Amino acid sequence: MASLKRWVLVGLAGCLALALAYLPPRGATASRDSIFVGQSVRGTPARQRAQAVADEWRAADGSLRLLRAREHFRAVAPNAWAATSLVVVSESAGVWAAAPRIADSAIHVAWQQLRLGETKVRVAVILQLAAGTQDRDRPVPEEGRAAYLTPDSTDRTTCIAVVSAGTYWTRILTGDERAPRPVSFAALVQSLKAGLGPCAFYAAYGTPGKSVRSWLASRGWDLALTLDAGQRGQQWGSLLEMADRRYPWFWDAVYSLPPSAVGCLAGRPHGCGVAVLAGASDDPAVPFPDIMRIDRRWGRVPRLIEGQRFLGDVARTVGRDRFLSFWTSALPVDTALAATLKRPVGEWTADWQRDFVRPIRLGPTPPLGGVAIALAIAVLAVALVALSATRRQVR
Amino acid sequence: MKTAATVLLAIVALPAPLLGQQRWEQQVQGRLARAVDVLQTSRLPVVKRSGMLNTDEAASFQTTLVQGTPYAILAVCDDDCSRLQLTLLSPSGSDIAKERNSESLPTLRFTAAATAVYGIRVVMEGCRWNPCWYAIAVVPLRKTPS
Repeated sequence: MASLKRWVLVGLAGCLALALAYLPPRGATASRDSIFVGQSVRGTPARQRAQAVADEWRAADGSLRLLRAREHFRAVAPNAWAATSLVVVSESAGVWAAAPRIADSAIHVAWQQLRLGETKVRVAVILQLAAGTQDRDRPVPEEGRAAYLTPDSTDRTTCIAVVSAGTYWTRILTGDERAPRPVSFAALVQSLKAGLGPCAFYAAYGTPGKSVRSWLASRGWDLALTLDAGQRGQQWGSLLEMADRRYPWFWDAVYSLPPSAVGCLAGRPHGCGVAVLAGASDDPAVPFPDIMRIDRRWGRVPRLIEGQRFLGDVARTVGRDRFLSFWTSALPVDTALAATLKRPVGEWTADWQRDFVRPIRLGPTPPLGGVAIALAIAVLAVALVALSATRRQVR
Repeated sequence: MKTAATVLLAIVALPAPLLGQQRWEQQVQGRLARAVDVLQTSRLPVVKRSGMLNTDEAASFQTTLVQGTPYAILAVCDDDCSRLQLTLLSPSGSDIAKERNSESLPTLRFTAAATAVYGIRVVMEGCRWNPCWYAIAVVPLRKTPS
């Protein structure tokens, strides 16, 4: 009988090991043909190569435009800064012009809403309007992207933002008769406020210290894209926040995230800490010139859900003085941020994350039908073994 | 005469054109003018420089100091600056004097042993809202009667 018990235990342990190894993670029974998290159609190698070259061209062209713009504002048009820290112009097909009046008003309202009056770092916004006709000898400009040139030793007080308006906003801003339905002025203000991106942080808090700057540059400023994103829950920054977790596409969205972001969604402080502090280095290095190209399109996969507002929320929570001490700190980022938050970074972030998405449960989870069938087979197997063993016993 | 010198200093020291970020530029120029005023000298500064630096950044420039003339070298910075270091360098580049104890108003007094080109270096050691504005003046003082 003792031998039988041992075999039963061994069998159960084997079943458990197999379950742990082979059962899918929770919710990972997604359909492969989800329309929400689509996989882009892959082009031919030649097409992919052409797209890569086009992207390099756009990056080089964008960098050149930014550097020219800085030189323009410094040498050609210094009077543009008279009694103001914000200048707005528009650009279309390489030609600069005054920004459409509604855009100029909206961005100045955004500036006031951010409480940015006279700032140490001034901001020039170049609103890139979609051109009516496109030159065929160069790649089509990408919509929904923005580029930023931050201050450096050649100009410590100017941050330049190039924001692509795209066809949709261009038609609205220029009063095109093909414009879609009227958009509220508040929506335009919010959009341009977000377009200020890292430049808004530079204007509000000045140039960050070397360790913070290196950390943010290495991760494309994804934690500091919006200085004031408004009330929590008013806008969905990602697919996950609007998805219903009863449906497979919620889990598709979860598992498209990096592992640390998934851990953070589950409320695990370690995952949150890793997601936030990725890119922090003990040997900080700042690129020169510090040019960032940022994808502002909705639906991009973030490193942390609602990460674009993370540092804005930190600043609002801790207050200006404490945030400034973090922003300019010479300490490593993890130490400086924890000192400012007065809590470990992971713990604070896990609590912050709960405001956007209810924590998910992680770990393997068997489907109910599968469990029933497996248990039935197991009981049958044990019963057969027991019966066989009983018959073989010598009385 | 002293007032006139101060006013003239303020006018001359204003960057041309004075555009943007006026508040901080005016702040350091005003402070520099008051600091020079305290020296009670009728002589105008021979050198004035102003600019802005982020924390831990440094700026240097050179000036000719005349043998036997006592000079005061003053540096001021804006409200957000917590510590400014001022160093006088010999023509060969070595440190002659360093002032880092008076936080945002370092001052050096120096009488040149020989007429030569000396270096002046300013280091922004603490700035809570980068960049911080600074201004420097080299002011010849009255020679003490020998």
